[in-house]
Amino acid sequence: MIEFDRVSFSYGNRFVLNDLSFSVHENERVAILGGSGDGKTTILKLIIGLLRPDSGKILIDGEDITEKTEDELRDIRIKFSMVFQDGALFDSLSVKENVAFPLREYTGMTEEEIDRKATELLRRVGLEQAVGHMPEELSGGMHRRVAIMRSMAAFEPKMFLYDEATTGLDPVSADVICKLILDISGQGGGFIIVTHKIFDAFRLANRFMFLKGGGIIFDGGRETLLGSTIPEIRIFLRELNVNHNG
Amino acid sequence: METLQKRIKELIGNLQDFYLLSYQGGAGMLRRPFYFRDMIEQMDYAGSGSLVIIVLISLFIGMALSLQLSAELSRLGMKMYTGKIVGISIIREIGPVLTGLVFAGRVGSGMASELGSMVLGHQVDTLRVFGVDPVKKLVTPRILSAILMLPVLTIIGDCVSLLGAYYIAVFVSHQSGTFFWSSIRDILIYENVLAGSIKPFIFGSLIACISCYMGLSTKGGAIGLRRTTTRAVVVSFIAIIVADFILTRVLLYVLGFSV
Ligand SMILES: Nc1ncnc2c1ncn2[C@@H]1O[C@H](COP(=O)(O)OP(=O)(O)OP(=O)(O)O)[C@@H](O)[C@H]1O
Ligand SMILES: [Mg+2]
Repeated sequence: MIEFDRVSFSYGNRFVLNDLSFSVHENERVAILGGSGDGKTTILKLIIGLLRPDSGKILIDGEDITEKTEDELRDIRIKFSMVFQDGALFDSLSVKENVAFPLREYTGMTEEEIDRKATELLRRVGLEQAVGHMPEELSGGMHRRVAIMRSMAAFEPKMFLYDEATTGLDPVSADVICKLILDISGQGGGFIIVTHKIFDAFRLANRFMFLKGGGIIFDGGRETLLGSTIPEIRIFLRELNVNHNG
Repeated sequence: METLQKRIKELIGNLQDFYLLSYQGGAGMLRRPFYFRDMIEQMDYAGSGSLVIIVLISLFIGMALSLQLSAELSRLGMKMYTGKIVGISIIREIGPVLTGLVFAGRVGSGMASELGSMVLGHQVDTLRVFGVDPVKKLVTPRILSAILMLPVLTIIGDCVSLLGAYYIAVFVSHQSGTFFWSSIRDILIYENVLAGSIKPFIFGSLIACISCYMGLSTKGGAIGLRRTTTRAVVVSFIAIIVADFILTRVLLYVLGFSV
């Protein structure tokens, strides 16, 4: 479904991705691992056309999106549900208005239907009490839950993209988010989660990519990752041992 | 040498982006969809939010100006000209510039930091994902609100300044109140009013465009946000002062004043 063909990207004269190629199918569950500033967020933004590569092609369902206008990209973006780092709720809108936002922009629903749908989505993640709250009144975990519901409110996403969905959360809240992610994708649904928390990555994904210095230095399944001898990956795996033993 | 060349190139690039954003922001007023709610919210923030501080500052500037002029003019035996000179300076020059500067400091900095934190918090990206043009949703309402509210605030500020000036002239400098008002009425001719009311429109659009541009090009975390806000205010200040000089020159010429 997603195909990167020799994609390079830089911010001004700062190179972030270099000649990157990979493809992800519709029902794969992928974790993109990597350190801070290695370009994980950048990859997600390229997938939904928020950024344009300097060179190379990005194909979504076989369509090249690199030359598309903002209007044409709408049809691409509805295939995805993107949850940004920290949730990115609009802080001038209440929780319910945040969830209602994409419904207003994308669907022809009446106010009443929008209201019902937004409340229903929030009830699904146990936040029916918080409908009237402002985002600043929410905890980190609640914030992410609202963001996840908002991202899928109006679209029928084939693929979910999560940017650091569990970063900065306590283990219990992170657990809630992981369960929610698995629950939403159901049996066969795919997603890409970008993270540097390897523990959560292991819970969710079955394919792992490791990003380093603008390229993918590892791409494989659970067992091969555990057996990898690449030093950076060993450092990441250490966290896993701590988690298991302690 | 090379870094200089690079910086000049960067500056020209930035200016291009700035013009493009201003153009798109302005053009957004003519194309659907219109975000009325955002505009009302911005007008409220820019207008009623700035009222108190503008009234306060205008009042004191009017009084100070009146004191200075009364003192100097009475030495020359020309105290009765206080009203006229105060009136002209306030309506044509001090009122618009002062209100513009206060507006830039209060509203412009607010716009820049709000948009900046929306960029850093990926809220602007989220708008794009939901198919909303951030320029139309965020920039256009801000330009419109500044263009509409700054002239209103300027007129209010002018009136308050004149009241302050009147108070000093009549109760401190013991001039005739009727004469003060009649000299104010004399200067409320079309040329002066026009000169004074074109300026806030221009200043308002400059402040909004500069602040939104700075806000949307924020990068680099909290430090970046600080830089954005500072730059928005400093650049707006310079733009207002320079534009004021150019406008004054042009208006005097067009209206047929000889210098
Ligand atoms: N708008 C921008 N302008 C310039 N440089 C940027 C911009 N956004 C990101 N960068 C830089 O590009 C690099 C990659 O950014 P990216 O956000 O993709 O990293 P990341 O892997 O998601 O990191 P993190 O774990 O911190 O979220 C970083 O070093 C960052 O400093
Ligand atoms: Mg990131």
